[in-house]
Amino acid sequence: MHDPRDHIVNKIYHVEVLPPKQDSTKLLIDLDLFKEKYLRVLNSGYCVCITDNAMGIMAFQGHEIIEEMSLYVHPNQVMIHLNTFHTKADLDNILESCKNLKIESLLVITGDGSDRLPKLQPADIGESDVESVTSVELLRYIRRSYPNTFVLGVAFNPYEPPEHEFAKMKRKIAAGASFIITQPIIERNAQVDQLINEYPTIPVTVEAWMSKKLSLLSDAIGYEIPADTEYDPIETLKMLHEVYPQCGVYLSLVGFKTQYDLIKDVWK
Amino acid sequence: MKIVVCIKQVPASNDAKIDPETKRIIRDAVKSILNPFDNYALEEGVGLREKFGGEVIALTMGPPAAEAVIKEAIALGVDSGILLSDRAFGGSDTWATSYALAKAIEKIGNVDLVICGKQAIDGDTAQVGPGIAAHLNWQQATYLMEIKRKDEKVILAKRLHESGYDICEMTLPAVVTVVKGINTPRVPTLKGRLTSLNAEIPVWKPSDIDANVDQLGLNGSPTRVVRTDPPAPRLSSTIKIEGSAQHCAKELVRQLRLRSIV
Repeated sequence: MHDPRDHIVNKIYHVEVLPPKQDSTKLLIDLDLFKEKYLRVLNSGYCVCITDNAMGIMAFQGHEIIEEMSLYVHPNQVMIHLNTFHTKADLDNILESCKNLKIESLLVITGDGSDRLPKLQPADIGESDVESVTSVELLRYIRRSYPNTFVLGVAFNPYEPPEHEFAKMKRKIAAGASFIITQPIIERNAQVDQLINEYPTIPVTVEAWMSKKLSLLSDAIGYEIPADTEYDPIETLKMLHEVYPQCGVYLSLVGFKTQYDLIKDVWK
Repeated sequence: MKIVVCIKQVPASNDAKIDPETKRIIRDAVKSILNPFDNYALEEGVGLREKFGGEVIALTMGPPAAEAVIKEAIALGVDSGILLSDRAFGGSDTWATSYALAKAIEKIGNVDLVICGKQAIDGDTAQVGPGIAAHLNWQQATYLMEIKRKDEKVILAKRLHESGYDICEMTLPAVVTVVKGINTPRVPTLKGRLTSLNAEIPVWKPSDIDANVDQLGLNGSPTRVVRTDPPAPRLSSTIKIEGSAQHCAKELVRQLRLRSIV
């Protein structure tokens, strides 16, 4: 299995690619677009990161798209997000498929639900002492069921109350997480500084918000960002590399037409 | 086991408009979805087929656009689907609709079990399932929370009611309606969705099912809607949880789980 630190040492960006939504009215076109982005990221030597029903909006799973479209996988260059809104049968199917496809990196998150998305129950994964399944229980289940198969990462939210978030991080690390990816940050962040200090041996990747629409971040941050706020994603990306040279960078909502060719010159 | 699952395309929005003349929902203005309760009926049908073998057919009546819910059902694992669509079906109430569906089920032939969601979210009548059973003169059981097969010709149906449940033995063929708690509906796979894209959906007209057109549409519908009113606003309530932080957190999670929020 690869060492998650390799992504930082070798300056490999994590590039988020959103899979087609379940209610897409132009699925074949969306699949082709996904394939184009996927291959472009892989051919750049970066790591393609595929979300799991982000924001509770139903979308197709990364592993099934890779299988259906016969896309190639480099173990070090594909990361699947995996959340707790699956049936046990679907969860096992995802993990089995990832294993067979040689996808090593999983970002294990609690995730966002919706009326239509099933939620894993504690009894499903042999957890009798908890009221509901979070990323911690899911991590434990994967570790237990698939020893030495996956490189497991977790999310860190610097906008949550620090005491709570750091206590949760402690449980995540104890459950087997070996890398951390933060929520998007747009400047030096005290909680991220503390995270790096508390876990000097765990690779931390900061998320860079690559959309010009900064106001879309309002929900994640927890306060309203005015819609007319001016924001330069590329400059922010450069700043993040300067402030956090010891960290990897995860690019969300990157513009493949306008930004992608620019980023290769940013982290050299 | 040959199973027919009756499904319906319904308006997605809660703010659907009512035509002041016909007192019916104006469907063109809002996005249409598969009736959420029908997901449980589809899951039950597909689950029974996976356990016992056989075939599952999705059946709906509606305008040509209702083909979308048949394709969704195929994406969820049913083997095939049929759309009843013709002007003659337009304006049918629950009695005329259940007559048309019953005639289609007869036409399909050798059906063992018909499964419906407990009700559609647009009309909220819960009458079509029982109506189909009445037209076919088959046994029926409503609000099922479990279906077990006793043998090839008998199922055990766990029927939910206000003060608990009872278990009925039903001889097939039969019609059942199912409630939300009966299963956890699967999410369509990409493979299923791609299969559904290429699926040919047969469209049946009244003559295809030997239906009497006088029993369809407005003419065949005894229901007359004389007035519609919006439902009374839901009353909100506040629960104050007191005690230690640990107790409050535990109780909050319990309350959220009771409401199926987490």
